[in-house]
Amino acid sequence: MKKKGMSEIVQSVAKMVFPFIVLYGISLILYGHITPGGGFAGGVILTGGFVLLVLAFGTDYAFRILPVNVAKALDSIGALGFLAVALLGFTGGAFFYNFLPKGHIFHLWSSGTIIISNIMIGLKVVAALFIAIAVISKARLIRTKDGFQYKQSGERKR
Amino acid sequence: MNHLITLTMAIYLGGAFLISLLWRENETVAGAAAISFVALSAITSVLLGIEVFTNGSILYFAGGWERPLGIALMLDPLSALFLIMTNVIALLVTIYSAVYMKKYTWTPYFYVLFLIMLAGMNGILISMDIFNIYVFLEVASVASFMLVAFGLRAEELEAAIKYTVMSFIATTMILFAIALIYGFTGTLNIARFMDASAGLTPVHLWFLAGLLLAGFALKAALVPFHSWLPDAHSMAPAPVSAVLSGMFVKVAGLYVIIRVTANIFTNLPQIRILLLLFGALSMVFGGLMAYGQKNIKRLYAYSTISQIGYCAVGLGIGGYLGSLGVLMHFVAHAFSKALLFLNIGAVEYVRGTVESDDLKGLNDTMPVTTLFGSTGMLGIAGVPPMGNFWSKLIIIIAAVKAGYTGIAVLCIVVAVITLGYFLKLQRTVYCNLTESPVKKEAPKTLLVPMGILAFMVFVSGVLLVPGIREHTLDKAVAVMENFSYVDITIGDNR
Amino acid sequence: MILYILIALMFFIGLYGMIAKKNIIKIIIGMNIVGYASNLLFVLLGYKWDGIAPILTEDMSFAYFLEKAVDPLPQALVLTSIVIDLAFVAFLAALAIRLFEKYGTFDIDKIRRLKG
Repeated sequence: MKKKGMSEIVQSVAKMVFPFIVLYGISLILYGHITPGGGFAGGVILTGGFVLLVLAFGTDYAFRILPVNVAKALDSIGALGFLAVALLGFTGGAFFYNFLPKGHIFHLWSSGTIIISNIMIGLKVVAALFIAIAVISKARLIRTKDGFQYKQSGERKR
Repeated sequence: MNHLITLTMAIYLGGAFLISLLWRENETVAGAAAISFVALSAITSVLLGIEVFTNGSILYFAGGWERPLGIALMLDPLSALFLIMTNVIALLVTIYSAVYMKKYTWTPYFYVLFLIMLAGMNGILISMDIFNIYVFLEVASVASFMLVAFGLRAEELEAAIKYTVMSFIATTMILFAIALIYGFTGTLNIARFMDASAGLTPVHLWFLAGLLLAGFALKAALVPFHSWLPDAHSMAPAPVSAVLSGMFVKVAGLYVIIRVTANIFTNLPQIRILLLLFGALSMVFGGLMAYGQKNIKRLYAYSTISQIGYCAVGLGIGGYLGSLGVLMHFVAHAFSKALLFLNIGAVEYVRGTVESDDLKGLNDTMPVTTLFGSTGMLGIAGVPPMGNFWSKLIIIIAAVKAGYTGIAVLCIVVAVITLGYFLKLQRTVYCNLTESPVKKEAPKTLLVPMGILAFMVFVSGVLLVPGIREHTLDKAVAVMENFSYVDITIGDNR
Repeated sequence: MILYILIALMFFIGLYGMIAKKNIIKIIIGMNIVGYASNLLFVLLGYKWDGIAPILTEDMSFAYFLEKAVDPLPQALVLTSIVIDLAFVAFLAALAIRLFEKYGTFDIDKIRRLKG
């Protein structure tokens, strides 16, 4: 059986590097409020890890790690969570009010709601970018007798 | 009460993502959910509007950070007027699209995008920070590109790519202007920029004003920048066209241009001459182009360009009468153009075409739709009892009083052209007799929103009646004439 | 000053790509260049010579931080603007694939069914 994706070397390196990329992305998201980084930067790096999987192993393997339905749900959950943080600010008196205890400066827990917002942004960015890249990478144009036919490879019929 | 100001936008965003999370597969539930979210938001905006028109503007700082640090959100009578109009029209259009969108696939995503677009529009209206306006403009725009391309037919995709590329040029100009504003004055808040702009040289001011005006004029489709509008508005699904033509052009374009000319660049009155020029060009060009159109949706789109020209002319004339004319014309045109696009959508739903050559004798086969369509057409053409007549009259009087006699004559001529192309449409499409009329009326769910809009078109002139005018339009005009949020007392009703 | 001129040059290169090129993919690349030009302008406006990143660390006095740190606001704004550019590019890429399906070409001159 022919293996999908790129050569053995690329696949082994991708397998080794992938956990570190994910860890780096997560750390950027979590420490976004006290060091450079944040939800968007960390999310993009996490997506970069998944794109590496897509390139090395093909879309099917990447979809087993992060299924599209889960990604779609995470996308909405990220947005709703961010909105919930904003709305919960009303308990402290204003939209986006930082209602959680602030903690100690220079520590991980030092910013109240900002860290939750960063996590939510990270989720949203990972999911949305991954869906966008996956959809574009699975798009196929099949030549027919009168022009082209658009097809998502491996798409379930609705 | 003040917290409600954020809710109109938050409800839309929450609704959009709840639909995409829970009811992605289920059209009926998604439609019902969308209607209820929009209704909730409409109720909120009406409550806010009552509050603003009775007790004065609301100033709100996100996160509880006081000025000058906080991001200011503000609802003054001007934006409250736009907010109420947006949400009321959005509610009617959403009810309409519950039936109309059945012929498309993946309808739940339509509601998601539609609600995100509305969230962006509401965000523009409550922001008092020019970068926030830019961000919400982009949120609304990106959703609207996808809605234009929603049907995925070749023409729709072509319209979408034109619209997207043109919009990108516009928003880049706006972004450059914002960067320069921040570089010159160190603030992004509209009211604080107003104060800081006194220290800038005329060259700087002209450069900023030019960039901002070009960007937002492209969004408002004033004539040198109009080329995307006829394609985008004629190809989108009918409910989307109704919102784009009825509200989006005015919120993203006209409202921000009002803010830019009347509130930001107060010490650069020459900018109004430019608007007068663009407006006059739009009026004439839109009217003449509309005359020759065969596709009825395209005709309505050109008519939108022409009518936006009236608003720009009123804004260019300025003064009390000019500003009153702009706002009245905005209200009347929003109702009637939304009505017309929904109307042609209903015709398309039943007959499957919008080409005027293929449609004959609608008067016999679809009498109720014809009645509502005629109301909308007479409304835009400016036949006396409707609101548009009074607004055009006010703009003409303002032009004569300000000494622009040529513009006044031009307004009258374009009004006649408008009546001309609508009468032509009436003759070919509605009154051309068919041999064997078979009655086939549009479904009731399509007719009810149109009926409400037709009623609104009929009575919108009531806003000008003394006694009502003082409490609504006059307050908004006062914002256009002198604006400063130092007057607004903060801290007492938070 | 030379930096501002270079940014203007970059902007015009991007604009040339958007206006003169016929291929949709090239137009998208032109849009990206224009977007980067505006982002660079933003960052440059908040920049200070010999500045440091606007992040307070434990071994730094607050006065030193205020004196040296560059303006963080433009950087935050640029992040937003990058996200918006990303949305544009993702949407346009998907649109280009669909356009190729319907018209069989990326040439913007041949994608011309709407007129009048």
